[in-house]
Amino acid sequence: MLATVGADIPLDLLNATRRFAGPLGWNVDRPTPRADAWLESKFAPWARSILEDWADGRLDELAQVIFSRSDDNSQRLYYYICELRERGALAGPEPVIFDVARLRRSSSRDHMVMQVRKLAERLDLDGSDIERGIAETNVHRSKLASAPSKVRDGRVCLLAGTAPPDRRLHHIIEAAGWIASGPTLGDIWRDPGDAVVERTGRPIEAIADQLYATQGGPRGFYDSASRIAQHAADAGSNAAILWYTEEEEALVWHLPAQRRALEQAGIPSLILTRRDWAARDGVDIEIENFLKELNG
Amino acid sequence: MTTATGQRSRKLLACTAEANAYQKAFGQQLKRRVVDDGEPFVIAQADTPHEIFHAMDIPVIANQWWSAYISAKQLSGRYFDAMVEKGYPANSCKYCSLGLACTLANDPATAPWGGLPRPTMLVARLTCDCIQHVFGQWAEALDTEFFPIEAPAWEHKDAQWFAHSRTDWEEIYGPERIALLVKEMRDLIATLEKRTGRTFDEEKFRLLMERTNEQEAYIWEAAQAIGTARPCPVSIAEQMPNVMIPQWHRGSEWAVAHARKFRDEVMDRIAAGAGASSSERIRLMWIGAGLWHDPGFYQALEESIGAVFVWSMYMPFAGPQYIRDLKGKPMEALASRICSMNEVLHLPPWMNGWMTSEAERCGIDAAVILLPPDNRLSQSGTKLTAQALEAAGVPVLMIDADMVDAKNWDHDRMVRMVADFLAERGVA
Repeated sequence: MLATVGADIPLDLLNATRRFAGPLGWNVDRPTPRADAWLESKFAPWARSILEDWADGRLDELAQVIFSRSDDNSQRLYYYICELRERGALAGPEPVIFDVARLRRSSSRDHMVMQVRKLAERLDLDGSDIERGIAETNVHRSKLASAPSKVRDGRVCLLAGTAPPDRRLHHIIEAAGWIASGPTLGDIWRDPGDAVVERTGRPIEAIADQLYATQGGPRGFYDSASRIAQHAADAGSNAAILWYTEEEEALVWHLPAQRRALEQAGIPSLILTRRDWAARDGVDIEIENFLKELNG
Repeated sequence: MTTATGQRSRKLLACTAEANAYQKAFGQQLKRRVVDDGEPFVIAQADTPHEIFHAMDIPVIANQWWSAYISAKQLSGRYFDAMVEKGYPANSCKYCSLGLACTLANDPATAPWGGLPRPTMLVARLTCDCIQHVFGQWAEALDTEFFPIEAPAWEHKDAQWFAHSRTDWEEIYGPERIALLVKEMRDLIATLEKRTGRTFDEEKFRLLMERTNEQEAYIWEAAQAIGTARPCPVSIAEQMPNVMIPQWHRGSEWAVAHARKFRDEVMDRIAAGAGASSSERIRLMWIGAGLWHDPGFYQALEESIGAVFVWSMYMPFAGPQYIRDLKGKPMEALASRICSMNEVLHLPPWMNGWMTSEAERCGIDAAVILLPPDNRLSQSGTKLTAQALEAAGVPVLMIDADMVDAKNWDHDRMVRMVADFLAERGVA
């Protein structure tokens, strides 16, 4: 079986293998003594949990884990795991890295094509396998798109910034009588993205083009102010919480622009920086007070 | 508030003063060219192909040099405070953002040169997740263009890369990665030609690459001699300016001549048995960027306990990461120099492989590793490297501090910490 770490990995290819177990998970609350001995303080906590699982042998049933280059945590974790395997400190699955190029230049687009081709070869997939993977993943995409959204009455609070580990922040918002809107990290890693064009005769390029067109996450090039304003409008947000962890070092650069965009849109916001990923830092009280005040 | 406790370093070499004087004059000339005369110029990260700018005679301000310049003027705290006032968290990455902070502070009265004018473009390799945001926002603030360069994954892992990178660079750095950067550099050249009206001269570039090889060979020769000499003729406090100042001007006549002069002076001191310390007893390794706000730190224990910092990355890096057999392909050779410049210093297996080997080559007794608290890239690989060094018999002290932000830095406390560590580990 195969698993992934990070976003922007071509799920069409992984689905085509029929061996895809999904993204690796994490345990927010577990101690990670061995991982702490290897990883420095700025690594995201999910990286510690995954590395601890790896060291514990909990991932031994997997054959390979594909790491994404689109996130600095996942790419560095890949190199560390390779090194620890080399030293004999770890066993478990073979780590593989999937390179992601995002720049708006033909050289980057060509590089993406090459990387998708390389991964397909590594996974021993031929053209028909890949076309099948695209078709099956597109069906999944259609189902996601057409799933009836849970229409709920109430005021919506957008949750943005660092993607939280699970729905614990959403639950805090919901406990205050609001509807929480915003993905968890797992949602992002499982997101297959937009549909890939089928039956082009060049499925590798079709997948690469879809990935290349995606601009999100820590290494994406996009107007963060417009994007949060759009997300807020799409969700019908009445409030927003911009939440960043202590380890966050990319998305936090969007903060001043996003804060201004929300102000201009007349959406009150609560800014929470340098926070505990496990939300053990009193964030529940702060969110409750913020939303209570808005409730009037 | 920032507490400035840094101390100046003590200079033993005549060429150190010459390098510093040259850089001071260069700074004035650069200011005249870009501020007074309004010439086109580029702001670029250190790990970008400066050779292209030099070959096109386009002045370049290296972000790290500019940061060090601001930091040396004890202005970092003021500008980082300004960033917080603008709504950025206090723990945002410091090393690459000081220039942006200075621009956003928008205080010509305090800013070096009264602040930077509008550059032609900003150039950075995307080696971490924050650099594109820092440079993107800096470009926006300066109303100019940002030219990012990919930092692709590197699958060919050779822990002994340094032993044959001069000759086998295609294999070590990967043909795909080299080809990608060559295409990007061609795009960069085309964009610069369009923006500045200056042309890229292939022959001038080839000569520059050859002269850079000559320059780095002098530095590497001196680095090898320092590794075996007892006592160490020159501590890293003087290695750094004599390597890094010519490095910013690599391939120029002055840089080549200065590297030769530095090599000669090092060799003379070795021949005379002259040491950085009058009684060297402990040879130390410094792992991390230069401590620009307190260069005197490196020499603080030389006389009291004979502890000499003999190694930092800047000087020995000249051999494995700069010198390249050109093979009639100077652009590809340059790409192989640039495409992993950061990675070999911050990622396993390259970082730990090289530094463990260097510790052995230089007879290192103990190592001190800088662990900047808010910078994943600069922290990266340090724990695995520390473990590799300890396994090789080299005690390691890791200190939480930042290379440009003087906050939380206390010279006396840090010196004491090193002295205590050496005593506790039985080195002193």
